[in-house]
Amino acid sequence: MTLQHYLVISAILFTLGIFAVLTRRNAISILMGIELILNSCNLNFAAFARFMTPPEDISGQIIAIFGIVLAAAEAAVFLAIILAIYREFGSIRPDEVDTLKG
Amino acid sequence: MIVLLISLILLCPLAAFAIFGLLGLAKRSFPRQDYLSTAAMLIALACSLLLLQEVVPDPEPHTVQWLSLGSVTFSMGFYLDSVTAIMLIVVTLVSSLVHIFSMGYMHGDPRYPRFFAFLSLFSFSMLFLVVSDNLLGIYIGWELVGLCSYLLIGFWFEKDSAADACKKAFLTTRVGDVGMFIGMMMLFTKFDTLSLYGEGGIFAQAAAQLSTGDMVWLSIAGVLIFCGAVGKSAQVPLHTWLPDAMEGPTPVSALIHAATMVAAGVYLTARMFPILTETSSLVIAYIGGITAIIAATIAIVRFDIKRVLAYSTVSQLGYMMLGIGVGSYVAGLFHLTTHAFFKALLFLGSGSVIHAFHAMHGHGHDDEHGHEHDDHDAHGHDHDENHGSEPVLGSEIPPDQDMRNMGGLRHKMPITFITMLIATLSISGVPFIFSGFWSKDAILAGVLGRAMEWNSVHHYLLFGMALFAAGITAFYMFRLIFMTFFGEPRNQEMHDMAHESPKSMTVPLLVLAVLSFPVVNTLWFNADYVKPPEQPHLHAPAHAHVSPDSKVGEAGLTFSLFGISEAVAAEDGADDTHGAHGDDAHHGHGPAHTIAMVLSIIVAGLGILLSWLFYHRRTLSAESVATTFRPLYTLFWHKYYFDEFYNGVLVAVTVWKSRLFAQFDGTIVDGIVNGVGTVTRDILAAFVGVFDNRIVDGLVNQVAEVTWSIGGRVRRIQTGAIQTYLFVVLAGIVLLILIFRVL
Repeated sequence: MTLQHYLVISAILFTLGIFAVLTRRNAISILMGIELILNSCNLNFAAFARFMTPPEDISGQIIAIFGIVLAAAEAAVFLAIILAIYREFGSIRPDEVDTLKG
Repeated sequence: MIVLLISLILLCPLAAFAIFGLLGLAKRSFPRQDYLSTAAMLIALACSLLLLQEVVPDPEPHTVQWLSLGSVTFSMGFYLDSVTAIMLIVVTLVSSLVHIFSMGYMHGDPRYPRFFAFLSLFSFSMLFLVVSDNLLGIYIGWELVGLCSYLLIGFWFEKDSAADACKKAFLTTRVGDVGMFIGMMMLFTKFDTLSLYGEGGIFAQAAAQLSTGDMVWLSIAGVLIFCGAVGKSAQVPLHTWLPDAMEGPTPVSALIHAATMVAAGVYLTARMFPILTETSSLVIAYIGGITAIIAATIAIVRFDIKRVLAYSTVSQLGYMMLGIGVGSYVAGLFHLTTHAFFKALLFLGSGSVIHAFHAMHGHGHDDEHGHEHDDHDAHGHDHDENHGSEPVLGSEIPPDQDMRNMGGLRHKMPITFITMLIATLSISGVPFIFSGFWSKDAILAGVLGRAMEWNSVHHYLLFGMALFAAGITAFYMFRLIFMTFFGEPRNQEMHDMAHESPKSMTVPLLVLAVLSFPVVNTLWFNADYVKPPEQPHLHAPAHAHVSPDSKVGEAGLTFSLFGISEAVAAEDGADDTHGAHGDDAHHGHGPAHTIAMVLSIIVAGLGILLSWLFYHRRTLSAESVATTFRPLYTLFWHKYYFDEFYNGVLVAVTVWKSRLFAQFDGTIVDGIVNGVGTVTRDILAAFVGVFDNRIVDGLVNQVAEVTWSIGGRVRRIQTGAIQTYLFVVLAGIVLLILIFRVL
């Protein structure tokens, strides 16, 4: 397993995430897409830390842990916002929430 | 020490007024303003008495630099000589007594504290005038006392007559003040200073100038400054305000219009003594003499007790002017002093009588002045109704001041009677034991002495006038006493209610009565103490004679209007020592003094005798005499038609002129203004309006419309769909990456 393998998997994850974020009609699915993107980043951090730095330097892995914590917090906030949106508009489809339309 | 005492004298009354003023800003007044003001005056009086010891023969002024304009510096300062010290005592003494008297007289007046505050302000102004060492300070004090006079004459401003009288007093004196100011400016132009004393002062420079003999402009300046005194001291022809000023409360009449402010004119003339030339002296003497006679004759036919005294004051002020005009400097000032005391006494006595008659309204002691206001208001209405027939101010007499309602009051009001009798004896010139005799005699002797010394027709004529006025004075003063205090009560109802005044009023009367005796006056006034200043040109003939080799004296003579009498005098007075003039003027010129004394005793006796026959014994009837001399009586009754003349000519001309100007204003000035207005509004404004509406507004609207339409198109971009935005962001990033990759 070389660095390239990890990066390819990471790129696939990122693309899938972007695709989900841009195309899903459900806000929960969009959240899933965002989680995929975050995870691809974490994978990158860990991979670069493993292959590009001395083994005793584990700052990349630590950043990845932080990223996971961040993703959890982000999910909580996101779900709270989705709940508020649902109360306000009766729907969680982003294309129906267009009050700011010009 | 001197500076401290003078500062105290000035600051005490000022502080009393300032406390009233400052508290007035807070809309309340010091509960015992009367005690405060009176205490301030008593302190000032004590300081004045102390100052008497501080006087030195040839004092230096105490000055500070006040204001500097360009190359000219004005200073303010005190000058304390014997005259200042005596004036300080006269002012503070009379003012203190009037303060005490007012506590009784003004009791219960709704503006009681204000009255005392004004009295304090007046006292300060008068004292400031007296101690000033320069013309500017004197002028400031001069205007301030004028203001106080205005405020106090109009103290009962609910009365129309009082309101009219205070305006009249203010405006009439202003006429004289303008002359005085021009005179000051003349002196200033010539000497570059307004300080009177010390090196480079006006007097020092004038004395130097006089040796060049150029006296014409100095005569004019002297007469112009005397104009101020004519206004303030109510000399003919500006005397008409003083009798009307009697509309003020009686203590005010006693303080301002008898003892102090009106004497300020005499004081000023005396101060300017060293620069009075022979011509201006003669003008002053004539004005004084004419005033003495005119006012005295008017006083004969008055029935209002206060107006009799007012005309008497005018007449006596004329006397003082006459005295100073003939060079009897000391006599003039001595008469000022004695007159201040006995005339203040007469006024306060008349105030006591008026006060007694207020009781006839059947009111308690406390609210009688409140009632008085109603009463005065009623008079005001009468005045209005009578306006058509009697346009002259002050022609009707309030019943409590009408001597025809009085009579037999000597039993009811013994103290008032005795004290007023003493003052009357004094002013009438009853010999030897009364002060008025000595001072009046000194003036008469001065006039006669000057006449004999110079053998001048003018001065003999003036002596005749003075003597005649002295006789009339005795006559009308005893007429007042007989009508008021003797005989049967003419108005029983009023008589029954009359009563002696309270202690606060009788005590000042008694003190002033004591001051009417010459012994008391010598405490501060004697010939050794008061020395007349040098006035070389008044003795021009002698001066010219002793230095025949100097052409200077001769030149001075040719400028004089009265060269003939001087030439005669110069010949006759060859053996006359030229150094002793000042003392001669006071002590009388030997025989002149005796003659004057005998004549004055005779005319005074004659006046009193006639008055007794007319108004007490009634062996002679005043009515029949009046009928016999109808034209003369009418002339006196109408006060020589001065008021009618002023109303008919000066006022009418002013009104006509004002109408003319009003018409000019209304048609031409207003026409121009309106024309400009029309042009601006109809033509200019219309054009500017179109420009504004079309071009400026159009531009603004156009900009707004363009912005609006662009905005309408651009807003479509904002779809509100969040995934679209995200897509665009992504597309942008991809684009950027591609670009940077390619580059």
